[in-house]
Amino acid sequence: MTTVETTAASPRFVMSGDLTQLFYRLAAIGLICVALSFLSDAFLTTNNLLNVLRQASLVFFMASGLTLVILTGKIDLSVGATVGLSACLAATVIKSTGSPWLGAVVGIGAGSLVGLANGVLVTRLRIPSFIATYGSLWIVQGITYYYMAGQTIYGFPPGFRALGSGYALGIPIPVYLMAGFLLIGGFFAKRTTYGQQIYAIGANSVAARLSGIPVNSRLVLVFIMSGAMAGLASLVFLARLNSAEGDIGESLTLPTIAAVLIGGTSLFGGIGTVSGTFFGALILTLILNGMNLLAVNANWQPPVTGAIIIFSVWLDLATSARSQASA
Amino acid sequence: MNVSIADASVRPDAVPAPSTPLLELRGIAKSFPGVRALDDVSLPIWPGEIHMLVGENGAGKSSLMKILCGAYRADQGEIYHHGKRVEINSPADARNFGIAVIFQEFSLVPYLSVAQNIFLGREFVGRLPGTIDRKRIDAEAKRVLTSLGSNIDPGMPLHRLGVAHQQIVEIAKALSQNARILVMDEPTSALSSRETEHLFDMMRRLKQQGVAIVYISHRLAEVFLLGDRITVLRDGRKVGSVLPSETSPAGLVQMMVGRKVDTTYARPTHNEAGPVALEVKGLCAPSGIAGIDIEVRAGEIVGLCGLVGSGRSEVARAIFGADRRSSGEIRIFGKPLVGDVSAAARQGVGFIPENRKQQGLALIRTVGDNIVLAALENLFPKRIFRPAIARKAADAIIRKLRIVTPSSLRPAQVLSGGNQQKIVIGKWLVAGARLFLLDEPTRGIDVGAKEEIFAVIGDLVANGAAVLMIDSEQSEIVHVCDRAYVMREGRVVGHLARHELSEANILRLAMHHD
Amino acid sequence: MTDYSVIDQPAATKASILARVPGVAFMLVLLFVAFATTTPGFTTLANLSNVVVQSTILLIIALPMTLIIMTEGLDLSIGAVLTLTSIIFASVLLPTGSYALAFAASSVVGIMFGAVNGWLIAVPRIPPFVATLGTLGIAQGLCLIVTDGQSIVGLPPQLQWLYGGTILGIPVPLVMAALAYLAFHGILYHTRFGTYVPALGGNREALRQAGVNDSLVLVAVYTLGGFMAGIAAMLLTARMNSAHPTAAIGMEFDAIAAVAVGGTQFERGNGWLFGTLLGVVTIGILRNGLNLLAIPSSVQVSCVGLLVILALFVDGLRSTEE
Repeated sequence: MTTVETTAASPRFVMSGDLTQLFYRLAAIGLICVALSFLSDAFLTTNNLLNVLRQASLVFFMASGLTLVILTGKIDLSVGATVGLSACLAATVIKSTGSPWLGAVVGIGAGSLVGLANGVLVTRLRIPSFIATYGSLWIVQGITYYYMAGQTIYGFPPGFRALGSGYALGIPIPVYLMAGFLLIGGFFAKRTTYGQQIYAIGANSVAARLSGIPVNSRLVLVFIMSGAMAGLASLVFLARLNSAEGDIGESLTLPTIAAVLIGGTSLFGGIGTVSGTFFGALILTLILNGMNLLAVNANWQPPVTGAIIIFSVWLDLATSARSQASA
Repeated sequence: MNVSIADASVRPDAVPAPSTPLLELRGIAKSFPGVRALDDVSLPIWPGEIHMLVGENGAGKSSLMKILCGAYRADQGEIYHHGKRVEINSPADARNFGIAVIFQEFSLVPYLSVAQNIFLGREFVGRLPGTIDRKRIDAEAKRVLTSLGSNIDPGMPLHRLGVAHQQIVEIAKALSQNARILVMDEPTSALSSRETEHLFDMMRRLKQQGVAIVYISHRLAEVFLLGDRITVLRDGRKVGSVLPSETSPAGLVQMMVGRKVDTTYARPTHNEAGPVALEVKGLCAPSGIAGIDIEVRAGEIVGLCGLVGSGRSEVARAIFGADRRSSGEIRIFGKPLVGDVSAAARQGVGFIPENRKQQGLALIRTVGDNIVLAALENLFPKRIFRPAIARKAADAIIRKLRIVTPSSLRPAQVLSGGNQQKIVIGKWLVAGARLFLLDEPTRGIDVGAKEEIFAVIGDLVANGAAVLMIDSEQSEIVHVCDRAYVMREGRVVGHLARHELSEANILRLAMHHD
Repeated sequence: MTDYSVIDQPAATKASILARVPGVAFMLVLLFVAFATTTPGFTTLANLSNVVVQSTILLIIALPMTLIIMTEGLDLSIGAVLTLTSIIFASVLLPTGSYALAFAASSVVGIMFGAVNGWLIAVPRIPPFVATLGTLGIAQGLCLIVTDGQSIVGLPPQLQWLYGGTILGIPVPLVMAALAYLAFHGILYHTRFGTYVPALGGNREALRQAGVNDSLVLVAVYTLGGFMAGIAAMLLTARMNSAHPTAAIGMEFDAIAAVAVGGTQFERGNGWLFGTLLGVVTIGILRNGLNLLAIPSSVQVSCVGLLVILALFVDGLRSTEE
């Protein structure tokens, strides 16, 4: 049957905005790798590269959940603290029961609860998300410190430790997990109705609501997911570090946000991908790795991360389709 | 010629006018893409006169106001101040000529005092460098307020004042900048009758002081009560300037209406009305509507008319659940509707909001994304999103509604207004809506596209849907709707059946102040 | 002439006295009574004066934070900047022995950070929490880099006078805090700048229409924050008689909490300077009491956080009642 079409049939392959973004990031990765391989002999070693991948995957776990929150136009500043709390609780359970699975349940559960609390603060109490999660950051951190009372928990079952330090086929296990999360996260964002709704909420929450989307429910959902992912990430941290202290996660907030923003997700919502965050985590880790290899003082890492965050937002504002859309 | 002396017999408080107007607009024209907002409008403004500006929505009143305050620049025409040719190219220019506009959204800061608001940016300097003289600011503010006959305490924080008093502060602010011409846009729309009286007292005082007031209003009672002169605009042209004594409310309405009948929008057929699609009983909402009773049958296009601020959008939003309802019953095809927007969407109600860019579309998302947005749960009951299916559904709508776009993958923001509106309507088609609530569906759309939108709406009802349409252009209501409800001040004040549907009737019901 | 003003004050006559009293006053009294009755050693003169003196540093940075929040903004970097300026102060004082030079250096650094914050927020319009989050990282990193992780010690003993000494019998920090409070009161209520601050948060467009350069005012607000950090740095360094790379990290949370508890809102430009003062004292009492109960600092932070949520919640309840 032929029909006279008034519009062109949608081509199957289109260089969409998302793809161009990924292209730029791939190019950036390529450039950084090339530069680093010239600047340092130690860069292109298998050991170093695998290490980079492993580090990137740790950042990515937290950043993937955070991506969903930022996609809705909100922010979660408490991710680092949530990782800390989940890690300490999970560690206690694993040590006392010997069961990593139980620990996992507790860790993810704790993270989800924090996420739920954040979601309620934002949707019911209508507190702006950057204030609500800034507050919950401190509260959660306080709980963690109190709970740990200055102690360290260490010595986990080797099976569990493999999660963070083990290899399979020569590649660190966290990398497989990262791949898994990339697929699942990407699927959730792009291939579920929830994901489509999340993008819409970030693009225009008023229009989303007026299209029948339950905006508040979805917001609580993404906060819970962000918390759950932080809980999951904490397990990998535990496995890698083989110990848990009160201050795990304190220094994680900045790199996580940076990874999401470098990955092309707009702070203002509606634009971005989980795969972009993957590349963002990779780029950030490469930069920090490069700094390490060049023996730059480790204390430069937070400033560099902070500057990267500011720069990403500036770039987003300067080039965003959004500024044209607000006519 | 000294007009005011002639009507001094009618107006004991009239002020004798000089021989040149305070401000005169001659031959003002202003166009926007696709629309001629003002065409050869000439208007003298005399000191000490309250000059009423009336006209339908879209007649050009707000464009004229914006030109007066320097927000717009006229394309053609001249402006004379005290007989001298001048240019008003910016708000600062307007202020220099003593022109102040009191908009409906005040430019006031909630947590500063009344006095601070009045003198914002023009504070009196104190003794120490960098300081301000609070006492003097308060004293001067008191002086201005007193001259208006108000004893508002200048030290009071602004947010504690109600709308009426904030308006007085806004007027005081204008006066303190030596405004000699005050332009007021529907100033009484948010006031109680007592507050309105106070406002009128104030205006009479200002008249005595020689201030000219240009007053835009739909309330004919006010127009005749206060006006020294009435100018009627229609379709961007000045129909005439009359004295209140020379006309009557009916006469005024006649001047405001009377456009050539435009058959482009006429619907070819009117369908047999089917079952009752929407039944509203006693709907009340905190947004300002009360006792709304409305009925719409399948196959009908029912209009919801009224002037700006009469509560039409509020009714649509309350039905859809976008605004909270305080009481009332709603039935969709016989089934009661409770809950908010998700419930309404699920029951087959579609809402096309007034501002499609800010409320109807996610501009940075693609055309296709926008089209399937309300239908996600319908199309994908298992919650797994399949791009191919979504694309097919979007393409079908693009074809059916003839949306002009290279593909469904373009961002919605690049489409023209008319096509964007089609996306919003199409969104609800895909979602399976049977009742469409349309709020100003053709606003900001050029003539050719308007036709298409009406054709789309006609198709909707031909296929058994029901439409409730809000439209500020009465001619469109008359030619497209089967019948119409008319609203005024938050209530339904009348119903016009097919044979009663005329612009004059609509306006009469919408404006009449019993 | 009719009395217009009466028409618009229905709430004043209907609402009870209780609703008019600011929530922070309640909390302050409640906490005071709670600790007084349960915690030994709380109500001694020594302890209470300790609370007051210790609160001065927080007050000095909470004052500009009040203004910043009134512009619908936030400064997450002020704790780190305070730490950094304290380090700079100590670093310059140690070799030169010149208090003037040390103060100049730390003020300049504080001002620079404040100006950068303000500029990022005013010009490219980067959201305040992002901009100051970034500068937080930068300042924090610089703290560790400059000190190489070590504390700076060996400062001249006269320095301690700044914190422990008295002027006419009043502790120096108290005098400084009082002066700072008076200065801010004067700025907020008696200068043009102070008039524009609530306008930035309440109706920025109105300010622009009035012909004021709103970007400049915004930059000035944040710069003021940086400068006050420089001043607080002197007290901080004197108190510890040294400079640590992590001395005041996290103090911005207490500052924001004090402002929020004191009744200043995050939107619309509604600010109350005296409320911040009360908020600072409230938090000081809370921390002191918890300290005496041997509750670790980390938990204290959680309690402060809960206090803020309580304040916001009650605030929300009240505004829906109005």
